[in-house]
Amino acid sequence: MKADRIFGLGVIVIATFYLYHATLIPMGFLSDPVGSRTFPYIIGGVSLLCGILICIFTDTITNWPELKVYGKIGIAILAMYLFAITLRPYGFIVPSAIVAVILSYLISPNIKKAVITGLSLSIGLFLILNYGLGLGLYAFG
Amino acid sequence: MDLVANLSQGFAVALTWSTLLLAVSGCFAGTIIGSLPGLGPSNGVAILIPLAFSLGLDATEVLVLMTSVYYGAMYGGRISSILLNIPGDEPALMTTLDGYPMAKQGRASDALVLSGVSSFVGAFLATIGLMLLAPLLARVAYLFGPAEYFALYLLAFCTLGGLASRNQIKAALASAAGLGIAMIGLDNQTGLPRLTFGELALMDGVDFLVAIVGLFAVSEIFIFIESHGKDTAIGVKLEKITIPVKDIVNSGLTMLRGTLIGFVAGILPGAGASLGSFLAYMGEKTLAKDGDTFGTGNPKGVAAPEAGNNAAAGGALVPMLTLGVPGSGTTAVLLAVLLTLNITPGPLLFEERPEVVWGLIASLLIANIVLLVMNVPMVRLFVKVLSVPPYVLLPGIAMIAFGGIYSLSGSSHDLILMVIFGLVGYFCRKLGVPTVPIILGILLGNNMEDNLRRAMIISDGDWTYLFSSGISIGLWAAAIGGFVAPLFLRNLLKKPKAPSQ
Amino acid sequence: MKFSHKLIGASFTLLMGFGTVGNTAECIAPANPGGGWDFTCRAIGKIMYDIGAVDEPIKVTNMAGGGGGLAYGHVVNERNDDGDLIVAASSATATRLAQNAYAGMTSDQVSFLGAIGADPGVLVVAADSPYMNLMDLLNAVMDDPTSVTFAGGSATGGFDHLKVLMALGQVGYEDVLSVKYVGLDGGADAITQTIGGHTQAMTGDISEVVGFLKAGDVRVVAVFTDERIPGFEDIPTAKEQGVDLVAVNWRGLYVPKGISNEDYNKWADALAAVAASDEWAKAMADNGLAPFTKVGDEFQDYLAGVIADVQKLSREIGVIQ
Repeated sequence: MKADRIFGLGVIVIATFYLYHATLIPMGFLSDPVGSRTFPYIIGGVSLLCGILICIFTDTITNWPELKVYGKIGIAILAMYLFAITLRPYGFIVPSAIVAVILSYLISPNIKKAVITGLSLSIGLFLILNYGLGLGLYAFG
Repeated sequence: MDLVANLSQGFAVALTWSTLLLAVSGCFAGTIIGSLPGLGPSNGVAILIPLAFSLGLDATEVLVLMTSVYYGAMYGGRISSILLNIPGDEPALMTTLDGYPMAKQGRASDALVLSGVSSFVGAFLATIGLMLLAPLLARVAYLFGPAEYFALYLLAFCTLGGLASRNQIKAALASAAGLGIAMIGLDNQTGLPRLTFGELALMDGVDFLVAIVGLFAVSEIFIFIESHGKDTAIGVKLEKITIPVKDIVNSGLTMLRGTLIGFVAGILPGAGASLGSFLAYMGEKTLAKDGDTFGTGNPKGVAAPEAGNNAAAGGALVPMLTLGVPGSGTTAVLLAVLLTLNITPGPLLFEERPEVVWGLIASLLIANIVLLVMNVPMVRLFVKVLSVPPYVLLPGIAMIAFGGIYSLSGSSHDLILMVIFGLVGYFCRKLGVPTVPIILGILLGNNMEDNLRRAMIISDGDWTYLFSSGISIGLWAAAIGGFVAPLFLRNLLKKPKAPSQ
Repeated sequence: MKFSHKLIGASFTLLMGFGTVGNTAECIAPANPGGGWDFTCRAIGKIMYDIGAVDEPIKVTNMAGGGGGLAYGHVVNERNDDGDLIVAASSATATRLAQNAYAGMTSDQVSFLGAIGADPGVLVVAADSPYMNLMDLLNAVMDDPTSVTFAGGSATGGFDHLKVLMALGQVGYEDVLSVKYVGLDGGADAITQTIGGHTQAMTGDISEVVGFLKAGDVRVVAVFTDERIPGFEDIPTAKEQGVDLVAVNWRGLYVPKGISNEDYNKWADALAAVAASDEWAKAMADNGLAPFTKVGDEFQDYLAGVIADVQKLSREIGVIQ
């Protein structure tokens, strides 16, 4: 109930934001009969309508996790974000080992297993991806 | 007869011990690449193009290798769809809908064998269709102009409504979200960026692989962190691996219908395998007597899209070979390999390079048989994946996906976007918003809009142009019949039931 | 047939993998594998090594995004003094730079090295079209611009679109906004639509139309080169029909701005050596390219001219604001 209301409101906010940005789409001089903004307007409008309808006809009965779980998910997101920005400067092996250890630990809290998993995954996958599939990753940046 | 002579010429080219070895290696590698989320045909070609350059394989050898990898990847995509609810590549998207529920019920191996057989039926029949009809079918592409394509995509979106059984509003929202994401990037008809917020990384739009991996694979990790794997197929006790004869027999007609729909979708350049598997699934859901159990682990819901997407992959070779138009991402890759081999597909390819065409057809048939034979024993290997502990499996999948996506653009933007999609996917699942329509929206949205706008440019804004051919009128009728009519029918059928519940 | 070493090698490589690691020279293809830029990197890189212009094989990296803009930004911001880096480029690179489509980056932030091949531009109509030659087609547009829709493989404002406008400009037609153009996903798509009669003419490169031409499905009304192309002597140039326009899709390379003169000259010499090699002649013939060699200063002067033309037209059609 409550979750759907919040969700619906969120959709309304995002759809409004989307519609506002659709009004800023540059048109150029060569505008065709349909134009650049028509589809974004329709899509934004439909989303807005959906948001309102979701607020009215709520239906989910979701079991929301406790706060601690959100903390864990937050850590996972942070780890993946750091992985994304360190992959280029530091290569594949070290960042992926760290992230794999963190993810592994979050899924099953056993530090020893997590470390072994992380190390073997990062080295093993580097070998497979780089040499087996020719992805052209760098080992250490 | 010409055909027999041509085909035997093809087999003479393609059937030697050395090419068989290549076929087996290619099928194996393709299946693995296809099954890994985030690794798609682009990675396949990353292997093939340097091989063609550096090892100096001749044209036939490369063709055999290439078709094996291509069909292997088409077969492989289903594996992670079924086992992990993560599509290995975009045509395997629809297979998650019933394949994963089957795996959760402990029928992972049945689903894998059934989908393997369906893939074989679809791909094999499509190859035969290609062989018999290609030069004729090439003319079909000429009949499809912007108005006809718009009607076709409209039809696809209209049937999307039927996908959601539980909450139509949320399904509609999901499609709108996908379409909204598809709008991001360079606007083809004005040459100006739309909704990119000045970010160069968004100029080419959002890559659907990024969206798939984020929505399915990354969100799976979050779900796992929350639930410690209570509601997944991992660790489900598996029954013994047998051939699910009953399911295969029951799905016979389903496979044939899926093949036909997929093949037709494949022939149309710009429609491709994703649309093929989607329409095959939706068509079967409407036609099958037990259509209302689709989405809960109905074997037909596995057979239809797998036959459909593999048939579409075969069908997509028609415009690729006869017109040089790649009908899907995967055929675009094949086209690139052909061009590097100095084989220019076009209307004369069948006459000028018969050895290439018939060699290709022969190697497609070989690859299919190899894959069928290889896939049944390999099912044992693949279901073992489910016994890998999640704390190894999930980080592993994440790292593979990250590596694959990174190798395409070499930028961190896509990876960050993927994590954002992961978070969106998590909340979608929590809130009961289906994620499949989001992907379909991203995949098909631009095509729908572009074709409408092209049609309006050509007709100077005259809307009647959209209904000016028999084909477009037929598609419009099907769209209305497939969407508006079922909505009313459903209400009519449901009402009498209501009191008894 | 017997097992040959290369076959076993191929199967082994496929299963066990291959790849080179280390600080060898790198060629960035600013697109996914398989496209024109990827071809440029792989073909030029391989020939440079084969003819001994470089000591080690050149590693090819794909960096797709922003129509080449991501790679451009990467080179400008992070690799500006990397003497071991070359990047694939083509007319599209120049067009986008001219149109400010690389987020404000300009063509003087890298050093263009040279072009060593080109795909000549063409205008094509269906075989049953009433337009027999270039002037028929251009006159039809001038009489009634709504009667002709051009199809091309690039977005509005892309080089395919601009070629049409440039040709019309040469015959004195300045109302560029009235010319109807639809951008499709590649030249083959555009030609299919034209043969199907949905659009009246296709603008593209000659390599995109060869198959259809031989099959008799299309008529090429003009090729935008100085001279008729070897192998296609039947196709008249625009020039001989009174339209003074040369427009080709060149294939070439750029290098970072901040590298030393020695490094620049080293790469320029290597590129010139590739251009003169038999291997490149064969690669060009295989891929439908015509010889078009401009290296170093000569190339940079040529580019400056092209960029100025594109900018002027782009302002008129509102692609630059």
